[in-house]
Amino acid sequence: MDDRFVQVGIRSIGVPTAKKAKWYEGKPLVSMAVLAVILLGCLFCDLFIPKDPAYMDLYHANTAPNAEFWFGTDTMGRDIFSMIWYGGRISLFIGFFATVISTVIAILFGAVSGLAPKWLDDLLMRLTEVFLSIPNLLLVILLQAILGKANVLSISFVIGITGWTSIAKVVRTEVRQLRNSEYVIAARCMGAGFFRILWKHLTPNFISSIMFMVVMNIRGAIVSESTLSFLGIGLPLEIISWGSMLSLSEKSMLSGAWWIILIPGIFLVVTLLCITNIGNHLRKNVNRRQSNL
Amino acid sequence: MNRKNPYIDYGKKILIFLLSVLILSVVVFYVARLAPGDPLVSYYGDRVEKMSMAERQWAEENLGLNDPIHVQYIRWLQNALKGNFGISFKYKTDVLEVIGGRLVNTLVLGGVGFVLIFVLALGLGILCAWHEEKWLDKLICKVGTIISCIPEFWLSLVLILIFAIHLRWLPSSGAYSIGKATDIPDRILHLILPMTIVVLNHLWYYAYMIRNKLLEEVRAEYVLLAKSKGLDKKSILFRHCLRNIIPSYLSIMAISVPHILGGTYIIETVFSYPGIGTLSYESARYQDYNLLMLLCILSGAVVILCNIISQTINEHIDPRMRESEVIETTEVTEIG
Amino acid sequence: MDDLILDVQHLTHQFPLTKNMVIKAVDDLSFQIRRGEIFGLVGESGSGKSTVARCVMNIYQPSSGRIFYNGIDVSDPKEFRKHKKMLQTSRQLIFQDSASSLNGRMKVADIIGEPMEIHHIKPNRGSVRAEAEFQLHSVGLDKSYLEKYPTELSGGMRQRVAIARALSMEPELLVADEPIASLDVSIQAQIINLFKHLQAEHGFSILFIAHDLSVVKYLCDRVGVLYRGKLVEVAPTKELFSSPAHPYTKSLLSAIPVPDPRRERARVLQEFDPALFGRDGEMVEISHDHLVRKGGKR
Repeated sequence: MDDRFVQVGIRSIGVPTAKKAKWYEGKPLVSMAVLAVILLGCLFCDLFIPKDPAYMDLYHANTAPNAEFWFGTDTMGRDIFSMIWYGGRISLFIGFFATVISTVIAILFGAVSGLAPKWLDDLLMRLTEVFLSIPNLLLVILLQAILGKANVLSISFVIGITGWTSIAKVVRTEVRQLRNSEYVIAARCMGAGFFRILWKHLTPNFISSIMFMVVMNIRGAIVSESTLSFLGIGLPLEIISWGSMLSLSEKSMLSGAWWIILIPGIFLVVTLLCITNIGNHLRKNVNRRQSNL
Repeated sequence: MNRKNPYIDYGKKILIFLLSVLILSVVVFYVARLAPGDPLVSYYGDRVEKMSMAERQWAEENLGLNDPIHVQYIRWLQNALKGNFGISFKYKTDVLEVIGGRLVNTLVLGGVGFVLIFVLALGLGILCAWHEEKWLDKLICKVGTIISCIPEFWLSLVLILIFAIHLRWLPSSGAYSIGKATDIPDRILHLILPMTIVVLNHLWYYAYMIRNKLLEEVRAEYVLLAKSKGLDKKSILFRHCLRNIIPSYLSIMAISVPHILGGTYIIETVFSYPGIGTLSYESARYQDYNLLMLLCILSGAVVILCNIISQTINEHIDPRMRESEVIETTEVTEIG
Repeated sequence: MDDLILDVQHLTHQFPLTKNMVIKAVDDLSFQIRRGEIFGLVGESGSGKSTVARCVMNIYQPSSGRIFYNGIDVSDPKEFRKHKKMLQTSRQLIFQDSASSLNGRMKVADIIGEPMEIHHIKPNRGSVRAEAEFQLHSVGLDKSYLEKYPTELSGGMRQRVAIARALSMEPELLVADEPIASLDVSIQAQIINLFKHLQAEHGFSILFIAHDLSVVKYLCDRVGVLYRGKLVEVAPTKELFSSPAHPYTKSLLSAIPVPDPRRERARVLQEFDPALFGRDGEMVEISHDHLVRKGGKR
């Protein structure tokens, strides 16, 4: 800076060094870390859980948290600390698997509806509406009854095939916009088939707009599993999951065993919160611009 | 564009509505009968196990269960059109009667809950938008996100644990204390916990939507114009921005009816609240076919109706939505 | 009889606007392209040029009229299905806007290789990648571009990639739908030269669509002038430029800027009055190969 500038009162303005955005900036770090801990803990729970989660220690039923049973035991004398990690595996697996099922259905259905002529599109959308109008809980009960006794796969399936409609609607709208873009026309001109166009040209271009919903679908599936198991229509007590652990809560309520209700529930809620934060991060943020008000 | 007669439009919508309900009834009828399980159990209870083959046969015939499904469906439809929806296997009375007694309870829970959500969401959304990115907004957003993440059944459990078991302030189940069915304050006391859950469970979703819609609106060019004319923040927000988002809010609230109603199903079950929710849960689990049909059709009709209302509101906001597809314009000349 | 690669007869295409209104984008259009020829189709925007291209490529089903490609009636869906694979490989389309005709989520190598993958064609040069590299080279880009995404390239480069994709099928007919309209003027010249060079090398035919005559003058053997969905004049390029017959063509010619400032200043724009244009004229051959729309004036 020349002295003369200083003399007339022009101050030097530091050249703004273009900071390279670090990969983690603006990302929900805490949520990602907590979720990672929970995920890894559940995956590798065999390495550190102190008790056999399925072993019923009837002498120590309904024990409050203490040095031996960190989170207490449930009404059947099982160690809650071990059950949480072990059962988390099942809950998270159902969350992911059900989401995979519903996303695949949603993409296929949405793409067919989006690429179809108007009358077929209308018909498909009406059918979706009818499907949606059956109360979700009833539909799940009926489907579960058709599939027979609930197990991990059947419950994922039931949750999956009842949870695809909202994603399908978004996919349809996106596909309807994309199908007139020239690269899709070009691909059709080259003779590409339905699945090739869907997989190579459409999916990569709409995936970002459904990512948020897909993540929220994981959350929804975990909630559904726990709710169904709690109501006694989901997983039975022998299959340990966060939901089936909570299904004991009505019995424990009267005996004042709060830990049976609170501890698995807190794990559940923290997991859901982390997933929600990550999902919200994926949603396009509209408020980046300056407010005019 | 030639304007169409609006009555034809409404007629078409009513037709679509009726058709959808018809398809719905077919689907539910088939799905319900596909599910294994013995509907006789819910009618005869434990006696079924002691029945001989002949008795079973007679019982099934009595309830009209051994015809092919489509014959059963047509018979059901014929009766239903006459207003006769059959009897409930479990309660052994006309299903209309069974539902009638419970409907009020659910309508109180869901209806009042809906109004509360509607008003509170609007207020909370405006509050957040007003204080955008200030501490109040941030606090409400954080708390709202956390609460919206909590599954409703678990929130119910925790509140029961605190308010019914530890503090003994509020009752934990039912719609009224035994023998006090007409006692209004007692009923209100029973409503507090379930109602809180209904509201808490949905409130943030809609409040956040209002907040974001308002923030989007505030960034529109016309706000700058209004500001340059000298209008203050309050009147811009309330007289211009709010007015612009109200139609889409109404449309979304119309779609929300089934969600809120569906949410009450689980809450009713947790609180053993004698409403439609507990009833449909029972009917689906114990193959009470006639009851299940009517419940599904009732709630289905509400959902479809709400969708149509929401669609109609949308069409009024944006006429382009009437033609669900914008005409592809590539190379169009004015040659007629 | 000439050796025709494309014979368009009375092609009409209309778009429905509302239930009882249609718009005729192309109206009773007939023209022929001979093997190894570059045929230019010129018209202002909205005159139906792209619609012609899309009808020729079977993207739109013509409302009426027939299109023969190598003697096959491609406007007949049955015939089209029968020869689908041959038609989809030997005719290739190049779009106006390369930014939207190349999928932004695919790498250049995958874009060029896509038609080969679709038709399971064994590449002449071993692998798909080698073929892509070769084709990229032939349009003047080196192999470092193979790993790039379209968004990282300039408009001219993208158009080259689009041309390379078309070339990889060794087409007999290239339909270029305003391939240079969205490019800078200096790049336009490069792409035009590329077309000329490639045509000389491969000997394919080109249906070249443009909205101004100056481009066509340099590149094409014959030119058709389109006005409001109707062909008004078809002639060999030289003849069209030396003795235009239709008033609309004259008006278009007078709009070409001249690179000499003194003559440019003296240039007189000839206005064309749309009111003079009648829709029901006849094409009349005024000299060999030179057809003009006559009559039908209101």
